[in-house]
Amino acid sequence: MLLRELKQMFARPLYLFASVGVMVLSTFFFMTLMKGGAAEQMPVAVVDMDQTTISRRLIHEMQATPSVDIILTTNSYPEAREAMQQGLLYGILVIPEGFYDDLVSFKRPQMDFYVTNAYTVGGNTAYKQFLTMVNLTSGAFQREVLRKKGMTDDVIMHRIQPLAIDAHMIANPWSNYSVYLVSTILPGILGLICLMLTIFAIGFELKTKTSHDWLRAAGGNYTVAMIGKLIPYTLIYLILGIGCQLILYRFAGFPVYGSYGRLFMGLLLFIFAMESLGILMIGLLPTLRDALSIGALYSMLGFSLSGFTYPQMSMLAPVKALSYLEPLRHYYLIYVNEALMGAPVQNSLPSAFALVAFMIASLLVAPRLHRALIYQNYPSK
Amino acid sequence: MISRHLYHYWLQFKESGWIFANELKRIFRDPGVVVIFIVATLAYPLIYKALYWNEQITNVPVAVVDMSQTQESRAFLHRWNAAPDIKLCYSCASMAEAEQLLRDQKVHGIIYFPRDFSKQLADPLGQAHISLYCDMSSFLYMKAIYLSCNKVMLESMQNIQIDRYEKMGIDKEFAWALVQDAPYSETALFTPTGGYGSFLIPAVLVLILHQTLFFGICMLGGTAREENKELYRIPGRRRGISVLRIVLGRAGAYFVLYYALAAILLGFFPRLFDIPHIGAIEDILRLNVPYILATIFFSMCISVFIRNRESGLVLLISSSLIFLFMAGISWPKEMIPEAWRYVAALIPYTWGSHGFIHINSMGASLWTTRTEYIALWIQTGAYFVLACVLLYLSGWLSERKKA
Repeated sequence: MLLRELKQMFARPLYLFASVGVMVLSTFFFMTLMKGGAAEQMPVAVVDMDQTTISRRLIHEMQATPSVDIILTTNSYPEAREAMQQGLLYGILVIPEGFYDDLVSFKRPQMDFYVTNAYTVGGNTAYKQFLTMVNLTSGAFQREVLRKKGMTDDVIMHRIQPLAIDAHMIANPWSNYSVYLVSTILPGILGLICLMLTIFAIGFELKTKTSHDWLRAAGGNYTVAMIGKLIPYTLIYLILGIGCQLILYRFAGFPVYGSYGRLFMGLLLFIFAMESLGILMIGLLPTLRDALSIGALYSMLGFSLSGFTYPQMSMLAPVKALSYLEPLRHYYLIYVNEALMGAPVQNSLPSAFALVAFMIASLLVAPRLHRALIYQNYPSK
Repeated sequence: MISRHLYHYWLQFKESGWIFANELKRIFRDPGVVVIFIVATLAYPLIYKALYWNEQITNVPVAVVDMSQTQESRAFLHRWNAAPDIKLCYSCASMAEAEQLLRDQKVHGIIYFPRDFSKQLADPLGQAHISLYCDMSSFLYMKAIYLSCNKVMLESMQNIQIDRYEKMGIDKEFAWALVQDAPYSETALFTPTGGYGSFLIPAVLVLILHQTLFFGICMLGGTAREENKELYRIPGRRRGISVLRIVLGRAGAYFVLYYALAAILLGFFPRLFDIPHIGAIEDILRLNVPYILATIFFSMCISVFIRNRESGLVLLISSSLIFLFMAGISWPKEMIPEAWRYVAALIPYTWGSHGFIHINSMGASLWTTRTEYIALWIQTGAYFVLACVLLYLSGWLSERKKA
């Protein structure tokens, strides 16, 4: 039985290529995509209508910060706006005409900043930096005035900055976007591969009408046939899963505050759940192409429904309910518990049980799928 | 003489027309392709709209640990309570208790006032600290908590500063002028109320068109292979001559269908479902022409390598995520290594998505977004030639195999 499966697997290298190749490519892609994982040197423009020493100093100081890069200094707002519409920059700071004169005569000149929210990461980075700069400018001016009143810098500093916020980013102190994104995307892609290949492995027997041969190899036993078929694939998924976890948490040094073992157990359950979902889909729709299409649409939604980008708490109630039907949601919860929170095991248990429930779900279609294997009673196209 | 030429062209045109009609038949007779081309294309935008229905992340639950228990700290909390982004759900006696809530995911952040908070505020030389702990399981939690706290802090700070200046003997009016020496106004351009959905859905709409077209064409190519259809030849015609007509005829069929779908998705869908749409619709319709054409020819090039219907499906699916990120929309393009940006430049989605976002979400004109528009036409030309060459070569190969 196993031998037959292995022969099939190597006779169609597509299997191997699809699973190993896609995973390796995706891992390589996502691990190399985000240069350090924090948005730096985001291009912005300064519309300097003041053209005085103070506006030039402001520009100079802003250019020295790591988060933004002033690629355009102009005195025309429409020009800067058009550059933004061309996707060349994410924010515009406008220093009004007569800014310096108004400042020293306490006329409260107003700086305006504009950020785009069509590109959120760039827009946010520009926003934060502008906010800081505006406050620093105000602070610098207060310092100048107070110095003239004969105060020392030390005394002044605390008057300008009487309050500070220390932000602690739990388990990701660098606000590394890569840690956050890749930790769920890569397992998600692995799960997608599990689902699609399980559908493919079983569906191909149905499509080519070789299911009798397959059942015969298993001595007519459905359970043996299923297990025998899935064992070689499962081994590949496990190797890929281990490889992926090693790369993320050992090689790249992504944080794990809880237990590596339990995190890996979570991945294991997730792999089984996705395989089981594959059986369920080909069992319900024994036509290979239909099952594959449904499988593809379903697993793509998992990335959004898992709630790792847009949080589940903000989803509409029916969508929220739907999110529990995606195994990736449960893996993500286990990941948050184990890697980020270091939570006790009982916090992950509901998610683990949910994944086990997916595994059991495939038993529901066993009689139907078994009949399909025997009678081959499904549309062939 | 002239009429013979004309007749010749008419024949060619008729052949292309035949291919065109035949391809449309193939599409509509294949339920798998109909599902991908039409059902998925129309259903996915609705699903994503439903998914990201609430634009803003509001009421992120937060725990408060107030060790100072003073009027000052309570005044802060009062302001925070009014902020829509976060919701102060729990008041904890100790940090350990709050950490427990965070671990259990009952809250996604902790605000901590140290014991000496009021003392430091009262001390003219002191600096008071507030500590924030943000759950990083989603960046949007962090953003909601951090930005709302920052806002409250900046607002409160002015009062404290004025207070301190007054104690120094600076009169109140001057203190006010000093503190508010350089006010600012902030504007989120283009879609002022826009949140996550406004940002992501336009990019997803463009991706849906790209990927369903890509899947569908590869599926049709794979099916033809399985059924041994000679896609590179018109029956009774020499191979080389007919390739051009085949590519044009097939592309015509996809174009008619997808131009209509693109008009629905990129033109009408945003207007129907309250997704940003400040661009001129005619500019969008004009951008769609090279975008759909480039995607068709790009997909035809790839489909030459697809041996059967199912193969490579996994590859095609995971390509969706890769194309999305490589284009540099959710992750800024400036932060993507150069090598990947070159690869991205080959994908029609990269140009199509930016072009659409510039026009649709930022109100650019077609002229302003000409870089993307021209790039798409260049891709259209290049992939058209490449598709012809690849089809010709694959025909040559399979005929040689037969011989």
